[in-house]
Amino acid sequence: MSDIKIKSKNLNVYYGNKQALFDVNLDLNEKEVTALIGPSGCGKSTFIRCINRMNDVIDICKVTGNIEIDGIEINSKELDVVSLRERVGMVFQKPNPFPKSIYDNISYGPKIHGKGESKNELDEIVENSLRKAALWEEVKDRLNEPGTGLSGGQQQRLCIARAISVNPEVILMDEPCSALDPIATAKIEELIDELKKTYTIVIVTHSMAQAVRVSQKTGFFHLGKLIEVGKTEKIFKNPDNKMTQDYITGRFG
Amino acid sequence: MNFALIFLIIIFSISLFFYGKSKTRSLALQNNLKLNALPKFYGYYLVLWCSIPSLVFLLIWTLFEPIIIKSIIIDNAAKLGANISDKNEANLIYEKIKAIHLGTYFGDIDNILQQSALSYSKFIGLFTNSKIVLIFSVIIGSILYSLKKIKNNNKARDDVEIILKGLLFVSSLIAILTTLGIIFSLLFESIKFFSVINIFDYLFGTNWSPQRAFVRDASSITVAEYEELKDAFGFIPLIAGTSFIALIAMFVAVPIGLFSGIYMAEYASTKIRRISKPIIEILAGIPTVVYGFFAALTVGPFFRQFGESLGLTVSSESALAAGLIMGIMIIPYISSLSDDVINSVPQSLRDGSYAVGATKSETIKQVVIPAALPGIIGSVLLAVSRAIGETMIVVMAAGLAANLTINPLESTTTITTQIVMILVGDQEFDSPKTQSAFALGLTLFIATLILNYVAQRAVKKYREKYD
Amino acid sequence: MTKEKRLKKRHNAEKRFRFYGLASIFLALLFVLILVQNIFSKGSSAFMKTAINVTVFYDPELLGVKNGATKDEILEADFFDITIDTLLKTFPTNNLDEENQLIDLFTTDAELEIKNALINNSNLLGKTVSLEITSSDDIDQLHKGNYPRDLPEERRRISNFQLSIYDNFLENKKIIKNFNNYFFKNGDSRDPEIAGIGGALVGSFYSILICLLLSFPIAVLASIYLEEFAPKNKITDFIEININNLAAVPSIVYGLLALQILLATIQLPRSTPLVAGITLALMTLPRIIIPCRASLKAVPPSIREGALAVGASKFQSVFHHVVPLALPGTLSGTIIGLAQALGETAPLILIGMVAFVVDIPSTPIDPSSSLPVQVYLWSESAERGFVEKTSATIMMLLSFLIVMNFLAVYLRQKFEKRWN
Repeated sequence: MSDIKIKSKNLNVYYGNKQALFDVNLDLNEKEVTALIGPSGCGKSTFIRCINRMNDVIDICKVTGNIEIDGIEINSKELDVVSLRERVGMVFQKPNPFPKSIYDNISYGPKIHGKGESKNELDEIVENSLRKAALWEEVKDRLNEPGTGLSGGQQQRLCIARAISVNPEVILMDEPCSALDPIATAKIEELIDELKKTYTIVIVTHSMAQAVRVSQKTGFFHLGKLIEVGKTEKIFKNPDNKMTQDYITGRFG
Repeated sequence: MNFALIFLIIIFSISLFFYGKSKTRSLALQNNLKLNALPKFYGYYLVLWCSIPSLVFLLIWTLFEPIIIKSIIIDNAAKLGANISDKNEANLIYEKIKAIHLGTYFGDIDNILQQSALSYSKFIGLFTNSKIVLIFSVIIGSILYSLKKIKNNNKARDDVEIILKGLLFVSSLIAILTTLGIIFSLLFESIKFFSVINIFDYLFGTNWSPQRAFVRDASSITVAEYEELKDAFGFIPLIAGTSFIALIAMFVAVPIGLFSGIYMAEYASTKIRRISKPIIEILAGIPTVVYGFFAALTVGPFFRQFGESLGLTVSSESALAAGLIMGIMIIPYISSLSDDVINSVPQSLRDGSYAVGATKSETIKQVVIPAALPGIIGSVLLAVSRAIGETMIVVMAAGLAANLTINPLESTTTITTQIVMILVGDQEFDSPKTQSAFALGLTLFIATLILNYVAQRAVKKYREKYD
Repeated sequence: MTKEKRLKKRHNAEKRFRFYGLASIFLALLFVLILVQNIFSKGSSAFMKTAINVTVFYDPELLGVKNGATKDEILEADFFDITIDTLLKTFPTNNLDEENQLIDLFTTDAELEIKNALINNSNLLGKTVSLEITSSDDIDQLHKGNYPRDLPEERRRISNFQLSIYDNFLENKKIIKNFNNYFFKNGDSRDPEIAGIGGALVGSFYSILICLLLSFPIAVLASIYLEEFAPKNKITDFIEININNLAAVPSIVYGLLALQILLATIQLPRSTPLVAGITLALMTLPRIIIPCRASLKAVPPSIREGALAVGASKFQSVFHHVVPLALPGTLSGTIIGLAQALGETAPLILIGMVAFVVDIPSTPIDPSSSLPVQVYLWSESAERGFVEKTSATIMMLLSFLIVMNFLAVYLRQKFEKRWN
């Protein structure tokens, strides 16, 4: 059993008057993949956006309760959100490469954080990140071409490489394969398997099969509440909760 | 007269509407017909046939009647021995003849004028009578035609719709006609101008002083005269002055407009945005003559005094004052367009940047602005086109004399200022000076057309990319 | 560089950037404020005029009319002598020069004012009454504090002697401030104290009316065609590009068009609201078509399909359903287009509206001025009194524009349906 990396306590999130999360208590283990499943609008994306405080971008969003990473509260005022996001990277539902070259897409993060002072160091970071994202072989000859010119699956791996480039501890993935075809999805899943050796990964997914394939731990959300959490195997074979049972057997969704 | 005729046409149309409606209804009842359209459409059908041909006829007649009468009368007067050597004299004599006819002329009336006035009265009478007769025949002809049509139970609704659709199409053609009108009127005089002044002397001359071109018959200019004329119409100082003032305006408007746009789009709360955006847009709604007044009476003198206190000589019509005020006028064009453009950059790009730990300003500078760049450049180009076409500010606040200078404290002139200066008050048609204003207008038109086209393409391409 | 230092630097850059944005907005707002404040502080005094209380004896002998004279006889009478008499009585003078200086304190229209008072009430004949005669522009400006009295005499338009008269009048409470009816009623004049925007107001009204009557129907019909009926082909594309370009053509080019086509070719009368209205209509047309089309486009296709499904023709679906729904947006676009036309100056200068017109136009084919052109004309005049008149004209113009813009916003917010 690995150590707990992220711990949320009584987490509530409101969008204006609407409450999106109700008292979520969830522990995420280090160097493990945790999958979050549940029907659309159940709050799983909202939850992971709390972990790197992406919800700050939305004016009307209010968060109460605690999230600790390595025992340090991240919702406190003193915490610098910029350095938090350096430690907690994120990959989005739709691939969103910047309208820049592949090289610039990757070097953007290291540059703004002052990593890689020299050109050589930067080159190295770019190559390493692309290798880790299993994209290097495909793009090494066209690093100066725009990132938007890649195929969907490649774009998503580019975004993963971009997240890796600042060497985070945690990577959040918000339905990373929902816009991809099965082959590209398989590649990304392979990649996640590889990445969990280095990073703590939280993945939101609609596909239960995917959750089974990639995760060690699974949480089931419904209507903003965390219904059940446990070892992936257990959740899918023998869930405690009737609602979880109904969801994974496809009675609703 | 025309009002009476229009009134008559309206009366005819209204009565025809009711006639057509009831007639078809009774016809249908009598013969147990199934009508192809509601009875009222037969009414509409008659109305359209009665009004459109006659109104079009009336319009064309009214436009051409005075021109035709004038040319006949002037020809006649010339035959009678009146001394008509150019257009201005012809106009003068024609005005006199008209005044005699109306009984409002109190000068000496010689034999020629007397006779011309008589024939003028005769022609007016003749034209009016034939107008009335012809209009009536047009109305009656079209009524007869349309009545025959509805008797055969035609598809009145379809016909009405075809006519109306034609009307819609003609309305949309007005835009093209306007463009053609602009091109025609600019080209017409410009060609005359360039037949006197070599186009290269115009485009590359460095001296602009059209007042040296006295009224003279443009068609018969001697070589010596041309030598004197050719460097009176040099375009270089005007384009230099225009660009210079536009440049100063851009120095003011681009940073302020762009930063306001960025702040509105990225930082401002909904409340601040809701208040400040309309206030800034007030700047775009203020008539330019107001800016001109402000520049000429407040800003210009202020700069001069301020310069004097520093020991500088500042013209009270300095390029700086005109450029500064023009820049203020242009701020909202840049701010609201760049606000729009920045808003249409997808949020996912910003999210991607925040997710690697970029601050808001880093995201804006390195992701949002580069993504929005084509749109922003487009909005700046549109603003430049506004600046070079702007007239009142420079007419009131910039200078009249064409100086080639890059000192913003001196006065310069612009294309638009010169057009106004040449054409204000009485003009001598057919003099190179007057024609030069149209050549300037043509140059201005082409320049703004290119700028607008490029700008609109840039913005459109950009929009398509993210839609 | 340590991590903390670097972070601090980045956050400072963030604050700086934010400050630039805020400062820019602030600067833009400041400009609005300065401009409006400047115009108002200069212009608000023009709505009042200075008058001097005088005592008139309507001497029948001097006027050359008998007691109980009819209105026509009074109209014929010569009021020059009585005017001079009245004005000279207001202050003792020693020589002709001083007399002239005294008379110069009153408006050039003093004779007319004295005459009008009698015409309005013929009972005054043979009686002595007190009248308020409008002062000259110089006294008006002096009294309003716009004229510096501490300049040396040779650089002042008002002599020491005139100043002493003014002070005497002031002491005896003979100087009054009245509502400036001339400003609204009169046409243009060379004398600021009797110059008004009456002619310009009527001229602008006619021009905008003609502009509305021409541009609104054509713009609506053209928009309907382009949005609802036009086939998607090269011609339609061309018309569309054309309209967008026309909207950005500098207004002075429309002036050249009007000069060449309307004045030189068709020979419409110069300097008239008719020509101004047509010119402005051509200019406004594309500016109305663009918002018109946008609001037609905003009506969802389901509305059209709904009408077509019950058997309406294409025309009926458009005119019965789509156009009424698009009307608020169309109207507000039209009002904004007209507001721009109302403030337009350059093309009107080219069609000769800068002519000096004293009479108030009674029809759209009388020579006339317009509000913005009046601003331009007066701003070129040297007299101090015209500065406040110009500013006041601008205030009138701006208030019209504000009302029109509010109306446009109101229409849009109140009546426009939001489609989601």
